[in-house]
Amino acid sequence: MTDSAPGSGGRDDPAHRPDGGQQADASTAAGELTVPARKSDYEEAASEFPSMGSIRRWFVTTNHKDVGILYIVTSLFFLVLGGVLAWLLRIQLWAPRTPTTTVLEPLAYNQAVSAHGLIMVFWFLSPFAFGFANYVVPLQIGAKDLAFPRLNALSYWLYLFSGILFGVSFFQGGTFAGGWTMYAPLNVPTFTPDVGASTAVLALTLFVASVTVSSVNFLTSMHTMRAEGLTLRKLPLFTWSILLTVWMMLFAFAALLAALIILSSDRLLGTTYFALESPAGSMLWAHLFWFFGHPEVYIVFFPALGVMAEVFQTFTGRRIVGRKWFIAAMVLVALQSFVVWMHHMFLTTINLQIKTLFMITPIGISLPFDLMVFALIYTMLKGKIRFTTPFLFVFGALLLFIIGGITGVFLGAIVLDYEFRGTYWVVAHFHYVMVGGVTALVGGLYYWFPKMTGRMYDEFLGKLHFGVYFVGFNLLYFPLFVAWETPRRVFDYSAGLQVWHQLATVGAFVLGLSFLIMFYNLTKSALSGDPVGDNPWEYATTAEWAVPSPPPLENFPGLPTYRDGSLGFREESTATDGGVATAEAATPSAAHHDEREEHVSHASFWPFVVGAGTFLLFLGLSGLRDASFPEGILGSAYLGTAALGGVVTLGSLVFMGLEPFHGPALADGEAWPFDGLEYGKVGMWIFLASDVVLFGGFIGAYVFTRVAFGWTLWEPIPENPVPGLVNTYLLLTSSFTVVLALVAAEKRNRPGLVASLVATFLLGVGFLGNKAIEWNHLFHEGLWLSSNVRASTFFLTTGLHAAHVIVGLVVTLYLAARAWRGAYLEDSSSVEYFGLYWHFVDIVWLFLFPLFYIL
Amino acid sequence: MNTKLYTVIYVVLFVSATVQVLVEFAGLAYWTAFALIIVLSAMKAVLVAAYFQHLRWEPRSLTYLIGIGLAAALALTFAASYSIL
Repeated sequence: MTDSAPGSGGRDDPAHRPDGGQQADASTAAGELTVPARKSDYEEAASEFPSMGSIRRWFVTTNHKDVGILYIVTSLFFLVLGGVLAWLLRIQLWAPRTPTTTVLEPLAYNQAVSAHGLIMVFWFLSPFAFGFANYVVPLQIGAKDLAFPRLNALSYWLYLFSGILFGVSFFQGGTFAGGWTMYAPLNVPTFTPDVGASTAVLALTLFVASVTVSSVNFLTSMHTMRAEGLTLRKLPLFTWSILLTVWMMLFAFAALLAALIILSSDRLLGTTYFALESPAGSMLWAHLFWFFGHPEVYIVFFPALGVMAEVFQTFTGRRIVGRKWFIAAMVLVALQSFVVWMHHMFLTTINLQIKTLFMITPIGISLPFDLMVFALIYTMLKGKIRFTTPFLFVFGALLLFIIGGITGVFLGAIVLDYEFRGTYWVVAHFHYVMVGGVTALVGGLYYWFPKMTGRMYDEFLGKLHFGVYFVGFNLLYFPLFVAWETPRRVFDYSAGLQVWHQLATVGAFVLGLSFLIMFYNLTKSALSGDPVGDNPWEYATTAEWAVPSPPPLENFPGLPTYRDGSLGFREESTATDGGVATAEAATPSAAHHDEREEHVSHASFWPFVVGAGTFLLFLGLSGLRDASFPEGILGSAYLGTAALGGVVTLGSLVFMGLEPFHGPALADGEAWPFDGLEYGKVGMWIFLASDVVLFGGFIGAYVFTRVAFGWTLWEPIPENPVPGLVNTYLLLTSSFTVVLALVAAEKRNRPGLVASLVATFLLGVGFLGNKAIEWNHLFHEGLWLSSNVRASTFFLTTGLHAAHVIVGLVVTLYLAARAWRGAYLEDSSSVEYFGLYWHFVDIVWLFLFPLFYIL
Repeated sequence: MNTKLYTVIYVVLFVSATVQVLVEFAGLAYWTAFALIIVLSAMKAVLVAAYFQHLRWEPRSLTYLIGIGLAAALALTFAASYSIL
């Protein structure tokens, strides 16, 4: 399968391998299978796995393609929900209103504005893109699934249940009404007192948990599971865009998690970080939120960019111009995205020097985008365009993004931002960018629809959808630029602007209704469209087009390889026979994974149960206010729900741990920069990197608040550092016993292993006990979470650390119980990975102790 | 695996934790003590990461990975704190 690519400048680049379809007749070398794959090349899939038509399948599946479809369908549901809320807003804005002449009650309008933003950004945009990522990325990197299939299913269920939780918040007095940016101090109960507002915050927290699990999984998979020969340089552009998206997600969402945990604590436990009387509480929120928020712009836009690049290449029949530079530009943007956040804060009290700096950095970030835009334009000029539906959508997206990008430059200039901030200029700008991204993703849906269903959509209806969509889009958002003097988030505006708002409202209905064409088209086509082959697009070059549509459960008929510069499949069973074609690539590891490979699992019920458990837990917690549940039956109901949720979550996690489940085996492909490390270790370290940012956010919040307060005026809460020092001793010793446990496991010394784990557990309990005594003492001195912001930072930061210790102790118990029954002597990796976590918790304490006890 | 090496590391950590508190009571100027204490914490953290988490013997990429997370957290902390000075 190794013919050198003739013509079209492909050279050794798999992203431009000419269509595999023309190679089907080529004779195959011994031990290799054809490209594209034939149905007959595949071994029988596991027969006990329920079929697509069975409801059960969708609750138990862990297969990346199923999860991808679940993501796409669910996200489209949230698109409809967010869209209906947008219609309500546009109906309200048909005319300028006073509080007595509104359609929606004033507070209901505020809720609709906030919920529309939150749902569209979090529950629609990213999950829609990650539906494609789930489906396509493993195919493009030549993997049978993601590294941790059950965690992938878990990500989905956490996502779905977080969305349901958000829905519930509407019925608990009202959902959050302080805008999607949740600025302080409007985000604390003093100003948004409804229980539903707390639920919305908790729902977002649960969503972030889903994102974190997903980030760790994708990063581990994309770095360690690429097919032989598929180096990062050769990675298809969609996969590149997802890789960078997930890296940004890992760090940005960790900062958001810190912000949301602190906010939840302010709302539920009564800490005072963001309270009006705290020094710089509102500034703290703005920093934490926008440190996440600006990378988030690229997190939602990059997948769209990846779709654009793929679709441009396919329908111009050309490799993208300056591919290497396009990738370099994306990498630059991903890095720069973390140093531009304060351009969202020009109207706060940040000093002029830093404002100037943060005016320069956004200009810097626009440069790589210019390069990408020109690369796409030049690719069109050099290629021969076929105007199919996917191409029309991504081409439209490019135009919209150019307008969105240019209008954003105005906002990045300090003096202009003084005028534009809080107006509809901002609203129009970010809708052009964000919904411009949606436009490309809709193109992606049409592009991959034949791959996912095996059937072709109706091209006429697709083009009609594009026409109506594009007209509706511009009719909706362009007038908002003209009516820019309208104040944002408010339903009153000067009467002279009414005609523009009426145009926008008409546009909103045109844009929204255009999706009916899509839903009709795709539903009908999925059931009765024309069947398609592997590659209906002729010039599509990436690996997902070299396998049947839809791809079988295990994706490939053999082990994908790019060793010879283009895609081929090695027969796994012959890989170790030392056939001529495969001799040099056969490694010992290929031998033993063959036997396991036959039993790769695809089903587990536990991710769903964990999702349901966390839903109940968070729903119950939403009833908390100032660290107590309300009186009476309602309070008992909340408490009971939380307790039940906690039990279900913990129990199902234990069952998930005990369940025999075989993920995809470690293949001998490309794993830069983590060569030679197993999935578990890579995953643990990636998770710890995000935990560094989570604690970094907490410590940063403490430092920031203390600086605002006056660093040296701030006294540590505990008067005596000795209890803290004792805890330092206890944790250091417990780290040492975890090391001894690993040594014992590697020496196959069962009593030593059990004794070390039990010692670790006891030391951890000692740490918590000592802390409890100390907290009890402080409490009786009249110091508690809500006493002042100094006490809040002390209790919450050390409390988060204590929560990490508790999680560690639960795992220690689990490990000790299994070690007692003889586990980990053959394979000590679980003990090792747990150790990595435990030592990290130790390291965090090494900084918390001086910061909160001595300095 | 070398138990003796781990024991030595553990003793060093234990002693430096004690020294850290003694620095506080030594009556140094605030910012001198501050610098010493933070340096001691950083040193202990590096020891735990290098030996207990055996980063010393792992591919350097894992160290860089954590370094990137740390850099992001420090950028946030310092830039945010500077912005209100």
